[in-house]
Amino acid sequence: MLKHWWKILGVLLLLFAFIVGLLTPLRPGINAISPSSAEFGTDLELLLSGYNLELNPANTPNLILWIDGDHIINAKEVAISGDSQIKASFSIPNEIPEEGLKELKVSLSDNINGFVTALPRLRMSGGEASSELATQKWSGTVEILEQKSGFNFPFLPNVYESVRNTFYHVALWFAMFTLFTLGVISSIRYLINKNPEHEYKAVSFTSVGMLFGILGLITGAIWAQYTWNKAWSWDIKQTMTAIVLLIYGAFFVLRISFEDADQKARISAVYNIFAFSTIIPLLYVIPRLTESLHPGGQGNPAFGRGDLDNNIRMVFYPAIIGWILLGLWLSNLNFRLIKIKERILENED
Amino acid sequence: MKSIFRHLIFFFALLGSSNLLAQSPEQDFMRSMGKMYVVVAVIVAIFIGIIVFITLLDKRLTKLENQIKKNGKA
Repeated sequence: MLKHWWKILGVLLLLFAFIVGLLTPLRPGINAISPSSAEFGTDLELLLSGYNLELNPANTPNLILWIDGDHIINAKEVAISGDSQIKASFSIPNEIPEEGLKELKVSLSDNINGFVTALPRLRMSGGEASSELATQKWSGTVEILEQKSGFNFPFLPNVYESVRNTFYHVALWFAMFTLFTLGVISSIRYLINKNPEHEYKAVSFTSVGMLFGILGLITGAIWAQYTWNKAWSWDIKQTMTAIVLLIYGAFFVLRISFEDADQKARISAVYNIFAFSTIIPLLYVIPRLTESLHPGGQGNPAFGRGDLDNNIRMVFYPAIIGWILLGLWLSNLNFRLIKIKERILENED
Repeated sequence: MKSIFRHLIFFFALLGSSNLLAQSPEQDFMRSMGKMYVVVAVIVAIFIGIIVFITLLDKRLTKLENQIKKNGKA
């Protein structure tokens, strides 16, 4: 039992990633506002449709239109209609602090939902720039400025609940890279000491890495179908990953085409080093230099940058370790199988 | 090997059918409930992939077992 601690740990971490990753609610959000544009100096009836908002007639939320922290107007009247719809009427002043103000932010705030800003902005036209009068007229207030407390995931436009795929699709890539790294280390060790066990390990790690890579590509295509409306859009990361997987696919083809075991082992070890060395430029350099649909692509997205929500991280990191341990388990089974097979072949000779 | 092939064909047929569903823009099945079913589809795909891998291992093990049986008799 003690010997298997890492398998148990892997299963527990994945279980955690599945349960917490699927059951944690999204933060409340506002999907849509109607109408989408208005004019300064007029009255406005605004209809908001919320997502995961907790609304009850006894506790009407405070609705605001705002430019910045000093320029806020409160709704004159707020009515809840249905499960997730809110009607609010505003009278928008004609005076604005600066020329050229083209949009207003719409937010909701109460002690159940916290401070929720609508994803779409309200497009504006007209208005008269007058700094002093504007400060007087835009003098609304908000009490609650914090987001909803508790453990929840961010509400992102277009992505919605599928943000949870971070723990399954994204984490798989990290596991794939770890397995390919272990594979190349085994290949190098084989080239150094010619111990065939290292060769078996290299093959096992690489095949499970390949499995995770293919699954990453398929899950990515499913996710892309419903976020970018196209399963395959020749996004730089998609294309580069397909190339990497083809290069790795050749590794297995190469292995079948050699009769002599020694030659096979040596050439495939060298090829594995080549294949691994293509990953770095193809998956980690080129996608960063060009436009990509994938988030966090530009610049230098290292760990610890602010674009990943903290609550997501708390599930994401265990999920990565869980997938890696599951990959190690699968490759361990594969390794033991190859070892037995080679022993049988030896005995036959 | 043949049955794995069949699994794969079934899987891609499944993917293809979900693509057809996606043609209507706003509220189709996959996009309902805040796109929750996209997560379900992703998990199902990973599950199928791992099962296919285990099936392959199983086949290779069976082959080895048969070989050991054969060697023992000889």
